[in-house]
Amino acid sequence: MSQIAGTRARLVWAVNLAALLLVLLWTVPTFGLLVSSVRDRDQIAASGWWKAAFPSTASAFVRAGGADTAVQEGDLWVISGTVLEKGQRLDAWGVTSRAPEAYRPGETAALKDGQSLTVAADGSYRLTSPTAFAGGRGMRIFVTTTVPPRVTTENYARVIGAEGLGQAFLNTLTVTIPATVIPILIAAFAAYALAWMEFPGRALLIAVVVGLLVVPLQLALIPLLKLHNDIGIGKGYMGIWLAHTGFGLPLAIYLLRNYMVGLPREIIESARVDGATEFQIFRRIILPLSFPALASFAIFQFLWVWNDLLVATVFLGNRHDQLVMTGVLRELMGSRGGDWEILAASAFVSIAVPLLVFFAMQKYLVRGLLAGSVKGG
Amino acid sequence: MEQLSYAAGTIVTGVFGCVAWFWGSNLILDWIWPSRGAHAGTNILRANMVRPWLFIGPAILFLAVYLVYPVFDSIWRSLHDAGGRAWVGLDNYRWLAGDAKFRESILNNLLWLLVVPAAATFFGLLAAQVTDRIRWGNIAKSFIFMPMAISFVGAGVIWKFVYDYRGEGQEQIGLLNAIWTAFGHPPETWLTIPFGNNFFLMAVLIWIQTGFAMVILSAALRGIPEETIEAAILDGANPWQLFFRIKVPQIWGTIAVVWTTITITVLKIFDIVFVMTNGQWGTQVLANLMYDWMFRGAPDYGRGSAIALVIMALVTPIMVWNIRNARREMMG
Amino acid sequence: MRKSLYLGVALIALAASAAGAGELKFAPGSDDRFDWASYDALAKMDLKGKRLTVLGPWLGPDRDLFESVIDYFRAATGADVEYSGSDSFEQQIVIDAEAGSPPDIAIFPQPGLAADLAKKGHLKPLADGTGQWIRDNYAAGDSWAAYGSYAGPDGQHHQYAFPFKADVKSLVWYVPENFADAGYEIPKTMEELKALTEQIVKDGGTPWCIGIGSGGATGWPATDWVEDLMLRLNTPQDYDDWVSNKLKFDDPKVVAAIEDFGWFAKTDSFVAGGTGAVASTDFRDSPKGLFTSPPQCYMHKMASFIPSFFPEGTVIGQDADFFYFPAYADKDLGQPVLGAGTVFAKLSDNPVGDAFIAFLESPIAHEVWMAQTGFVTPYKGVNTDLYGDPTLKKMGDILLGATTFRFDGSDLMPGAIGAGAFWTGMVDYVGGKSAADVAGAIQATWNTLK
Repeated sequence: MSQIAGTRARLVWAVNLAALLLVLLWTVPTFGLLVSSVRDRDQIAASGWWKAAFPSTASAFVRAGGADTAVQEGDLWVISGTVLEKGQRLDAWGVTSRAPEAYRPGETAALKDGQSLTVAADGSYRLTSPTAFAGGRGMRIFVTTTVPPRVTTENYARVIGAEGLGQAFLNTLTVTIPATVIPILIAAFAAYALAWMEFPGRALLIAVVVGLLVVPLQLALIPLLKLHNDIGIGKGYMGIWLAHTGFGLPLAIYLLRNYMVGLPREIIESARVDGATEFQIFRRIILPLSFPALASFAIFQFLWVWNDLLVATVFLGNRHDQLVMTGVLRELMGSRGGDWEILAASAFVSIAVPLLVFFAMQKYLVRGLLAGSVKGG
Repeated sequence: MEQLSYAAGTIVTGVFGCVAWFWGSNLILDWIWPSRGAHAGTNILRANMVRPWLFIGPAILFLAVYLVYPVFDSIWRSLHDAGGRAWVGLDNYRWLAGDAKFRESILNNLLWLLVVPAAATFFGLLAAQVTDRIRWGNIAKSFIFMPMAISFVGAGVIWKFVYDYRGEGQEQIGLLNAIWTAFGHPPETWLTIPFGNNFFLMAVLIWIQTGFAMVILSAALRGIPEETIEAAILDGANPWQLFFRIKVPQIWGTIAVVWTTITITVLKIFDIVFVMTNGQWGTQVLANLMYDWMFRGAPDYGRGSAIALVIMALVTPIMVWNIRNARREMMG
Repeated sequence: MRKSLYLGVALIALAASAAGAGELKFAPGSDDRFDWASYDALAKMDLKGKRLTVLGPWLGPDRDLFESVIDYFRAATGADVEYSGSDSFEQQIVIDAEAGSPPDIAIFPQPGLAADLAKKGHLKPLADGTGQWIRDNYAAGDSWAAYGSYAGPDGQHHQYAFPFKADVKSLVWYVPENFADAGYEIPKTMEELKALTEQIVKDGGTPWCIGIGSGGATGWPATDWVEDLMLRLNTPQDYDDWVSNKLKFDDPKVVAAIEDFGWFAKTDSFVAGGTGAVASTDFRDSPKGLFTSPPQCYMHKMASFIPSFFPEGTVIGQDADFFYFPAYADKDLGQPVLGAGTVFAKLSDNPVGDAFIAFLESPIAHEVWMAQTGFVTPYKGVNTDLYGDPTLKKMGDILLGATTFRFDGSDLMPGAIGAGAFWTGMVDYVGGKSAADVAGAIQATWNTLK
């Protein structure tokens, strides 16, 4: 008995461990993005995000003051200032790009023409010369510093402050809500007919719906935009709502039908015997029972429309104030492709709403609905 | 604001319109052929012949306009030249047969078909099994499902932080290279390694799809009757046997549904390749190749359409399998 | 005489500001280096309330700059111009044109795509005489005119596009202070450049930062290298034949140019991060290596627009500068310059479109952008004192003084090559394939085009 209990305990451990491992594997990439997005912009590209909590060393150069900032002290001309920003610690410094770490803090470097430079540990430097300085720009002082870890919201401020993200948010909302609601309605009726009504060609229709699941969207873009232009819809919200409805229907019908087929036959048959019309059966029995399936498809469609870029670029206008969120973010990435901090923060902004919706609604997803597409095989 | 009220108005009109259509058309049907009175029997029969079409009509209209019509348009286009003017017969398909990029794409797509549905289903099953047995199962499920909610633009950036490459001696900021170099290997440019890079792209899709598989399979696992499992335990089955001999066969149908759905996603796989490598370094896939020919450089709608039709042809076996399933269902 | 002119200008400025154009970047009449007469001439066109839609690739700072140019058109004519920029311009314009909802004017970064749309009948020929105007008023005018002249659906050549805004490609960027620290001289010949490259390695440094990543367009920076080297190894005639495929892509002359690029990019010690980094480094990230401490590299070959991607606060001409990508001393080919430009084309018969092209022919349209940043023009009628910084002027002078000027060949080749097989071929080449294999594959693709 105790042996069985022991195996049990070990098994529980193993299961917990396996779950933990899976969760880690699946969240680490996203977590890395989250961490990166709140790091200092110089640090993102300098060290891995997993080092965010530790001080990092950075090498850079600081320009000393120019000749016009020199002060005369006795026979010496002196330029002074500091090479450090708040919180940094000086590790080493240098005067040429060939040897940027040649000197310790506090040491003095002899330069050409009798000039000399001292950089103290607190970052203050003093450049002296027996003759007046010439030239407009100050020399470069190369510094290697240790920078304490820093959490910042600057990256988000930059992205959210970027022109038009608020407008884009509105636009996305305007696109997403009707494009989620309308296909569900249409699909629910169709799914019911395909699941519970007898008519010739039903099997064929089901097959067609499954077949249409695989139509690559890209091929529909030009013919449909042309159609919209011909019938006068043009580019705009009406067009994109219709398009998303059309593109979302096959999956909606497929999932909802699978669910509805699994509902208990007796309930429906007995309602029919009682003289209920099909419309009544649909409204009073099928709809309430299918609620989990409807909710979960709604989540899928919402996520898909919210995250879509391709359909929006084609069916909506392209002016800056017409863009959806993904469009603005892509624009940001295009014009600032090398700026990792912009990439990280904007990517996280783009996934924030879907994640929120998902965490708020997941109980429908996980619990109910997809249970239906299961129907026990 | 004006914009939002427009949207709200559309929702109301749309919803109301849909309901009015379904409700009204049914009412009219019942009025034309009342199920009471002299000809009740024939009337019910007639009404029942029409009614399914009322239910399914709007859906058929949408499917016809937004999916079927473009497919036929593509068939027509695939038999024409780049500008859609001159009839070229099967030239575009002949060109496909000889094109090296097309061959590469087909092989890659097949590779994806072999690996991704299997891996996503496997991990999904594993995740479903373990998360159902622990206390924090629902939280664990949310985390594993989370990638489903992320746009491909977002996913592209997330994985950029995993696969990033810095030259030897520089500090790696990509997670994979950091781990790799910690073991003393020189850093690798993961996305350009011939053949291997395909698997790094697939990892992204597996990462996204596992949550989907897990949710559905978890529901199926819970649906297995208690008695079956108890009987097996009484017979002395160990956990492995219980899982593979009892549970998996019980949910075989659901596994097939999951497999099919992911297979279809894989056939259309476009976003990940488009964002991460754009099909270079030997990672081209059909949907991205089609996009290339349709919209990039010198748009050739004929060739693009021909590729699209190949993608659709690849799904025929799945369609046939589904029709059979549907038939069996109707009989049973 | 002069006084009355000023008065007139002032009046017009008044009228313009009354028309709601108070935000013009440079108040008309304020700085007499500008050609305000050409601005005044525009006011003759009264287009009040007429609409014009323009679609182009410029976003962010470039969009703001272009808007500041359009403002003058708006103010002078009263037309309502709506510019939208798209990150995926190439796809967008194809979709819109095919679907029948094109913008009135499109700005093509690649003439190859414009030529393709012209052939399919989506572009409208520009007003008669536009081609002649370009030939007369642009330096190397024949080349520029040809840059915008394509065969229509009927096979007849017309002037379909107007070049506006040029890029000079044959530039090598460097940090003068790093060169001074190491004691390096600016190379005057290709031989010297190659010797310098080897010298830097010997001194323990890395000479080049090369990054050819560019999302969907990955590979294009390498095509610029090959084109520049083509012009330095072969005659301009060979170059032209290559662009038109009279000289096959797998010809030994072309293969030699690719291999010469390989000398730089495929020698591990010559490139920051090694050859592996070339294809995986984004071209926008690449120049940052010049400015690190210690420098990751000493030189970066890229077109004139690249300073937009330098670290914030970099002063061009002091913190960073460029030198001309030199020619071989032992080949008598002069000082060839590779360039590129954006072209404007009409996609509708909207008369405001013609007015807008006429606006681009006026010096003021060029000068407003020149006086800011990131713009060079081959237009001989502008006042080059207006260039916003000395580096731009230096580039403008290279453009005006080139002995041999040629356009970016990949822009002129059919899109499937110049924006397709050539790019991916270069990626394959850097990835390890041989130059001959890659050139053969590109030629094979070319052979399948009709």
